[in-house]
Amino acid sequence: MLDPSTPSKKRKRGDNTGPCKLDSKTADDNNAQSRILQLESQILESRRYYNNIATLLLISRGDDPQNGEKVAAAVSLCRVFCRLLANGGMLVTTGAADAEAMVVRWLNERYDDYSKVLLTMLKEPNISQGTALTLLMRLVKDEGNRPKAGQERLFPRKLYSRILRVVLEAQCTSEAREELVRKYINRYDDIRIHTMAIIYELATEGHPLEVLQAFISNTLSVLSSTQVTPPSKDDIDKFYATPTENRSQLSSITAYKKQAQQAWLALFKLGLSKEQRKIILGLISSKIAPCFVKPELLMDFLTDSLNFGGSMSLLALSGLFYLIQEKNLDYPMFYQKLYIMLDASIMHSRHRSRFFRLLDTFLASTHLPAALVASFIKKLSRLSLQAPPAGIVVVVPWIYNLLKRHPTCTFMIHREIHEKDRSEQLRGEVMNDPFDFDEEDPVKTDAISSSLWEIQMLQAHYHPNVATLARIISEQFTKHSYNTEDFLDHSYATMLDMELSKDIKKPPVVESEIPEKIFTGYCKEAVQDDPLIVKMWDFT
Amino acid sequence: MPPSQLKRLKATLRAEGITGAQPSKKIRKKAGNGTGNDRRVQRTTALQNIREQFNPFEVTALGRGREKFQVTTNKTLSGRGLKGRPGVTKSLGEENRKNTLLLEMQRRKKVGGIIDRRFGENDPTMTPEERMLERFTKEKQKRYRNGAVFDLEDGEEEDQLTHFGQTLSFDNGKAIDDFEEGDLELLDEDDRSSDGGLNKRKRGQSPGLENGNDGDDGNELPERKKSKAEVMKEVIAKSKFHKFERQQARDADEELREDLDKELPNLLGLLRGGNLPPPSIPDLMSAKVDGSGMNPARAAMMISTDKAQADKQYDMRLREMALDRRSKPTERTKTEEEKAEEEARRLQELEEERLRRMRGEVSDGEEELDATEGNGIGGDDEEADVENFGLGPGISGWKQQKGLDIEDEDEFVIDDDLVANDSDGSVETESEMSVLSEDDEDREFLEGLALDHEANGGGSRSAISSAKRTGSEDGPNPTLAYTFPCPQTHKELLETVKGVAFKDLPTVVRRIRTLYHPKLHNGNKEKLEQFSTALVEHLAYLADQPDHPPFLILESLIRHVHSLAKTYPENISRAFRSHLKSIHENRPLAPTAADLVILTAIGSIFPTSDHFHKVVTPAILSMARYLGQSPPTSLSDLAVGAYLGTMCLQVCFGCFPDVSCARLMLTDYLQYQRLSKRYVPEVMNYVLNALCILAPARLRVVPGNFPYHEPASPLRLQNAVAGHVHCLRFWDILPQELPDGEKSRLKAALIETHVTLIDSAAELWAGKSAFYEVFEPAFKVLQFLAGKECRKWLPSGTKEKIGMTSEKLQRLLKQARLSRRPLALHYHRPLAIRTSIPKFEDSYNPDKHYDPDRERAEVGRLRAEYKRERKGALRELRKDANFIARELLREKKEKDQEYEKKYKRLVAEIQGEEGHERKEYEREKRLRRGKR
Repeated sequence: MLDPSTPSKKRKRGDNTGPCKLDSKTADDNNAQSRILQLESQILESRRYYNNIATLLLISRGDDPQNGEKVAAAVSLCRVFCRLLANGGMLVTTGAADAEAMVVRWLNERYDDYSKVLLTMLKEPNISQGTALTLLMRLVKDEGNRPKAGQERLFPRKLYSRILRVVLEAQCTSEAREELVRKYINRYDDIRIHTMAIIYELATEGHPLEVLQAFISNTLSVLSSTQVTPPSKDDIDKFYATPTENRSQLSSITAYKKQAQQAWLALFKLGLSKEQRKIILGLISSKIAPCFVKPELLMDFLTDSLNFGGSMSLLALSGLFYLIQEKNLDYPMFYQKLYIMLDASIMHSRHRSRFFRLLDTFLASTHLPAALVASFIKKLSRLSLQAPPAGIVVVVPWIYNLLKRHPTCTFMIHREIHEKDRSEQLRGEVMNDPFDFDEEDPVKTDAISSSLWEIQMLQAHYHPNVATLARIISEQFTKHSYNTEDFLDHSYATMLDMELSKDIKKPPVVESEIPEKIFTGYCKEAVQDDPLIVKMWDFT
Repeated sequence: MPPSQLKRLKATLRAEGITGAQPSKKIRKKAGNGTGNDRRVQRTTALQNIREQFNPFEVTALGRGREKFQVTTNKTLSGRGLKGRPGVTKSLGEENRKNTLLLEMQRRKKVGGIIDRRFGENDPTMTPEERMLERFTKEKQKRYRNGAVFDLEDGEEEDQLTHFGQTLSFDNGKAIDDFEEGDLELLDEDDRSSDGGLNKRKRGQSPGLENGNDGDDGNELPERKKSKAEVMKEVIAKSKFHKFERQQARDADEELREDLDKELPNLLGLLRGGNLPPPSIPDLMSAKVDGSGMNPARAAMMISTDKAQADKQYDMRLREMALDRRSKPTERTKTEEEKAEEEARRLQELEEERLRRMRGEVSDGEEELDATEGNGIGGDDEEADVENFGLGPGISGWKQQKGLDIEDEDEFVIDDDLVANDSDGSVETESEMSVLSEDDEDREFLEGLALDHEANGGGSRSAISSAKRTGSEDGPNPTLAYTFPCPQTHKELLETVKGVAFKDLPTVVRRIRTLYHPKLHNGNKEKLEQFSTALVEHLAYLADQPDHPPFLILESLIRHVHSLAKTYPENISRAFRSHLKSIHENRPLAPTAADLVILTAIGSIFPTSDHFHKVVTPAILSMARYLGQSPPTSLSDLAVGAYLGTMCLQVCFGCFPDVSCARLMLTDYLQYQRLSKRYVPEVMNYVLNALCILAPARLRVVPGNFPYHEPASPLRLQNAVAGHVHCLRFWDILPQELPDGEKSRLKAALIETHVTLIDSAAELWAGKSAFYEVFEPAFKVLQFLAGKECRKWLPSGTKEKIGMTSEKLQRLLKQARLSRRPLALHYHRPLAIRTSIPKFEDSYNPDKHYDPDRERAEVGRLRAEYKRERKGALRELRKDANFIARELLREKKEKDQEYEKKYKRLVAEIQGEEGHERKEYEREKRLRRGKR
């Protein structure tokens, strides 16, 4: 009846604990080890020695966290219980004697005690944490696979949910969590689906405030590191503790998805912090949305994030785009929202290129009203006045493409005043930019009657390449379009790198005359044309 | 039913007037004054026509489909090619073959043979008389050609038979040359030998005869009419005489020349101004002895026994000659005006050059080249660049090779360049530039040297002089060494200047530059190149020293670097670039004092107005990077920012102001928009941010779109500062602990500096089209600073400054709005729409291929031609084969016929003989019978 893999695993585990124990090697320790082994072998020999279990429990409950004994006792107890589970020693057989039932009940109580001991070990941040997790998962496995006798065999949900709770509520136990994800959740399909279900339960039941934050962040990290659901039904073939007869229930992708969806939604409902939201938003299109049965359910979350403003909205945009594209989501006032997102920070944002990629997609249609497109063009060109060169480099070709796509907007770069009286009227009169920068509705900004003075100014940008690029707006529009992708990922660093990596081919030009004043100058009298530096700084 | 062929023929002949009644004489006379010949010709043509008309096989219409109608081509009307004359062509071909192929056939398998090259042998058109005449003339010509025209001895004479030189002609008794030789002999006896040809024959004659002749000529035959031969001889003799005279004259000339040559060394000596020692005695002697036309000095050299020494002397002389300076007309000393004008012209040229660079039109040919090859697809073609050109910013490239991106962004630049200008011009001016700078350098250097000798330098404007002044002001340390090794690395430089006071540093540098001037020694150029690199490093090193060296020293060092940069621009630029690289890699957001000094030096050494410059562009990019990316957190940060902002503005002004001012004075008549005035968004962002965080009170709404960073520890000016605030000191850029009072003072100074920056930025970018958008927020910030919340904290000077600046801004803003007009950037000639309608051909021919692809059309044409030729050749070959077969058959037939004839003849002969014999026999028999 014994699982054939058990002995080898056991030996391994013994080996594992060996060094641990030897670390704090004393004569006492050696004695203790041998005593534990003795107790264990006695238990296995005869039921008479079942009381040894209590003794071992006592040892494993010991206070000293560094004590090797504790671990050793836990390990041997695990072996004992595994064997008991395997040979049905812990099953209440109908028609058994009272004494027998007593023993079984007693054993079950001890088993409970034992699992509690392990769970507390799991909580404590020390070396034995990993061992505790391994032992617990071992118990999960054996419990799931114990021989059938009367009652139905099931995945040991109760035990597993206790483990998960401990792991998820722990304050700082990332190792155990990572191990759990790596070795079990990602590897076994049944563990995964149960994890999702349990997370949902845990998330809905409510937590005390001090645990909540830890729970949220742990859950997030578990969920985000969990692999995406299996692609097809046939891929669901790895089971850890689910008995063979129950497996068919699990082999449905929808079930997986449903559980995952529930888990995520439950997580969304807990109060997420800003950073956590950002992480989730980053994952949405790649990880979260694909495992949703109804991705529409994400909409609320996305809308909330979009309304949040700042970089949050930028991140939400890609998720929203996924929904619009894949699920045909109709988002009311979308362009207005998009327009509002164009604020001062966008050109300096880290997510600039990401945003522009999406923006390019959103405005790719030729059926958009010209007024709206003009507003986008004008606003971005206004913003690029304060932008770093990398930002300008993105905006200019993009504007070119839009102008090419919407010829009506070319009035923004070329507007002749035909009526004579109008031009007469204009002479000597103040002209304000018709564009309303603060208007939030892109259709109402009147950008189309404005001009792109900003881009013209950028033609005198200090960076020669940027200046030349800005000049494309006033050249003839012969090119069909620029590939905006080429201009997206730039920064000061890459530009400098590029400048400095080019070697000098021919001697650079040197100013032909040596200026009289560099820092201080020799003629002490101040002259009108002194360099700024000389005028404004005191070099002493 | 039409009449029969014969009847028709008769009718036609009659109609033509060939048969039937001949026209009467009268009519004939009336009809034409033409002669009989004319009529005959008419008759033959008429007959020919009739013949053609009645022979339907003589002419064929060409094959079907060849017929052309006017709708397709005009060729139909010309009638060419409408009719074929198979008979004629066939016979022509046959004739041709007979002349060529048949001959070849007959000559087949035959070797050698005689080719008759005589005239007219194969020409049946010639009459025998003509033939003979032709032969005769040919022969004559041949002889004439062979005979030397210029032979002194006449070919004719030589052909004559002689005996002992005496002609054997019989037409006159004594055929002796009647030419008086004696005259010649009198002229020059010696020349006889040289005139051998003439005398050889003479010598053959006996002297007696000669003498006899002399006597004869005059007396005996005075009046006799000369025969033709005699006349000819006379003419010949005269020509000979003239020739001889010419020779004489030439010889005389030669002699004279030789005489002159002998005197040349003396003349040379005179010319060289007595450099040469007077010709040595052996020289003279040898000259006498030799007597030949040889240069005496050279002769002496050849004579002199010491060969090696002679060689040496020769070499020396040669070198002397090589180094000999050609005398040149001295240049007139120029007047003041001329000088000024020249200077103005030079400056104007420089300025034009600068402007061109500013517009980014300098096409560094190499750079273009390298860009195009660097990126295979290059920016050469419209199609090719679709992906790459704009891609300029080589994103993809960057992604592929992480970090170090080969952006082709400047390919973009180049692309435009390609369109816009010619590289030749720039190259040319480039060289001019370098020449100019070289001159400058020299002058300056010499000036420096001169000053070195003087005790006190005058107030010259040149760099070295001013540098000198630094020294002279403090008086150069008399203990300072005069010679130094030329340091090749910075380490060596440190070694060299160890123990030298700061103030003596410029002197040391100057002395090193003097000692190792490239003109003094071969290797000095390389040494100074290395030294200039080390000097740049030292500049940075000095600025980072804890005991801040005086800026006077730094400045004069920068001047030294500048003047070195004129000669070694590459090394200096490399040094600066490597410093920039280290900033970029190690401390992009935390520049040290050294970095600031280096950046300042770059701003003053290199022309900052250039559209693209290998040093300035990265420098300004690094400055902007600091301004854009590092939010200020402390006062020293703000000071650094202010300094860099100042630098940026100065650099973006286009050129170092006082240089430009010097130029303006001379070139102000040129209405150039001279300064580049580039826009640096980062400066405005930084300045506004700085003012917002320094302001005594917090702005409720931050105006404009600049990124606003509230520092962790507030930097607001919270204490009232009284009195005047002096301007920022350079060393404020270092973080330092200050007492509170000083701190607020510094803050106030920072505010003032930043306000000044806004002021100068507004001035700088006043004409720009988006001026209003850029400066409106600045105006708001200034107004806020002037508002009552902040007023009380600010010192009065600052308040005043703020007031002035905001007034100025208000004015400029109003102006900007006044001058604002809708953009009209696209006054381009409208582009032609690319059309796909085929070009209309006036005379379209469906057989012709109007292939727009030239190459393909060419290939098609060739192929068609080949096909046609092949067909023709095949046809010809086939015809040849037919012809050969026919000829062979004919030959065989002839042979057979001949054979048959012969056979028959033989048979007949035999039969005859037999018949004869039989008759004989019968007769014999009869006789015998009769006997019996």
